Amino acid sequence: MNASSLIAKKERSALLQNQRGLAWLLAYAGILSAFALLLISNQELSLLDNAQVVYMMAGTVTAAGALIAVIMGSDAYAGERERGTLVPLLTAPISTNELLMGKAIGLAGAWGIMYLLALPYLWAVGAGGQNLGQAIFYLGLFGTPVVLGFGYLAMALSARSGSVMSSLLTSLIVLLFSASPLLLGPGLRNSAVGRALDAINPFSGALNTYDAVIIDSDPFMSQLGRLVLVLLWLGIMFGVARLSARRPAIR
Amino acid sequence: MLIEANHLALELDGISILKDVSLHMQKGEIYGLLGPNGAGKSTTIALLLGLYRADKGSLTHFSGQDAEFVSIRQRIGVMPEFAGFYEWMSAREYLIWYAGFYGGSQSPPDSLLKRVGLSQTANKPIVQFSRGMKQRLALARALVHGPELLILDEPTNGLDPRGRREIHDLLIDLANEDKVGILLCTHLLDDVERLCTRIGIIDNGKTVLEDDLEHLLRDAGKPRYRIHMTNIPEGHLLPPLVRLLEWDGSWWSFEIDLPHGRDIGKVWEDLLVHGWSFDEIQVESNSLEARYLELTGSDKPDQQEKAA
Repeated sequence: MNASSLIAKKERSALLQNQRGLAWLLAYAGILSAFALLLISNQELSLLDNAQVVYMMAGTVTAAGALIAVIMGSDAYAGERERGTLVPLLTAPISTNELLMGKAIGLAGAWGIMYLLALPYLWAVGAGGQNLGQAIFYLGLFGTPVVLGFGYLAMALSARSGSVMSSLLTSLIVLLFSASPLLLGPGLRNSAVGRALDAINPFSGALNTYDAVIIDSDPFMSQLGRLVLVLLWLGIMFGVARLSARRPAIR
Repeated sequence: MLIEANHLALELDGISILKDVSLHMQKGEIYGLLGPNGAGKSTTIALLLGLYRADKGSLTHFSGQDAEFVSIRQRIGVMPEFAGFYEWMSAREYLIWYAGFYGGSQSPPDSLLKRVGLSQTANKPIVQFSRGMKQRLALARALVHGPELLILDEPTNGLDPRGRREIHDLLIDLANEDKVGILLCTHLLDDVERLCTRIGIIDNGKTVLEDDLEHLLRDAGKPRYRIHMTNIPEGHLLPPLVRLLEWDGSWWSFEIDLPHGRDIGKVWEDLLVHGWSFDEIQVESNSLEARYLELTGSDKPDQQEKAA
């Protein structure tokens, strides 16, 4: 087993065997459960069109996934440093690249688990309606780069910052800033500024795609521009993490 | 030569941490790296492990056989000062996992755990370990791949006297039987006197001494005496073996090069014969500790300057 696989194996066991990892998964499942329950049982929300409900659920999965990815990414280096486990990794015969790859694979694995956990919830709110399959496919295609991109950004900050808290707070601010256009009303979103923010924001890119393909049943080809945006986001954030982790702070 | 470091200098965030550090270590040697807090010992270790790159100076490991740190680390075992682990794993699981980085364990994890005194707790989650047990596990981790060079930062921290003695014996075995070179970074001068064959003292980012311990103790170990005189002879004639060091008005300091087996009482008799009479004798401390304190007395002017 190579070094990256060993690190990824450890990351997986940290998520599935360690109490802290299990607590995050439980929190994630809790968010989805509460939201699904609200969508089904709330009188007003239950009157929504089925496609609208599936769209909202897909957006929630992406947002909750990005939040957990940011928490895990912030812990990747700074947490290891705080717990005294970073130096043994850095003094083992592995390159910083292999270490980052192991962490990146571990994060991707965690998102894989979160994605699988989300499927029953999507089914629960969208079974029998239109475009459930589309929602699952596009959540994988667009949600994956968005979630991992935020995780890698947090990882990059974690490699350089002095503590988990500081990298977590900075990553959360970026995440909230990315989500902010969604908080604007429809009028503001249609303004020039709103449209510009939507065009460069990977989070908006994913949500607008969910909207287009789940609610409006738009074809795949019309989403290519947004796909490029989210893939660029993933690529840039991975590059930033790679640069940052080349010489991680050890004290 | 396991390590040959000459005149290393390192600046971090605009602060000069190391100014001129040199360190030379041979196979099978236990080298004590000493220095006050903040002197640069841990940074020196980080530099030796390639966690930092020196701004100046030269550094070679294993007589220059390996140039890449990834392959150099294959031959080094490290025990950092703060021993951290993935605490949900058991000691055995952890060792097997960590050995994977080296292509597997050199000796079976169970025998390694037995060697460091953890065989009874091999399958317990590390979260249940005491600090001393974690220190032992950290040593097992450092030994998991059968390294040629061991770098240990405060290895006996948190150990009870029996545990400390056991670790000492293990280190002596490793150096004598397996010819492992051990770089021991510690504040405990007792540990150094008991274990080390060579020492280096760092103060304020500079190596202020590098010498064989035996040589150092032989020099430092000549007893010094302070004698309160009641009568000083004319001409100050001193018997052989006695060297006058200083005089502060009434107390005289002497160094006596006493040959093995010679009774010190004979020296006092000789002094009396030569006309020196005295009413009190004090033995001055002149151990490794005294030498260490003498060499590490700087006030760190550079850091004070920076702070100002």
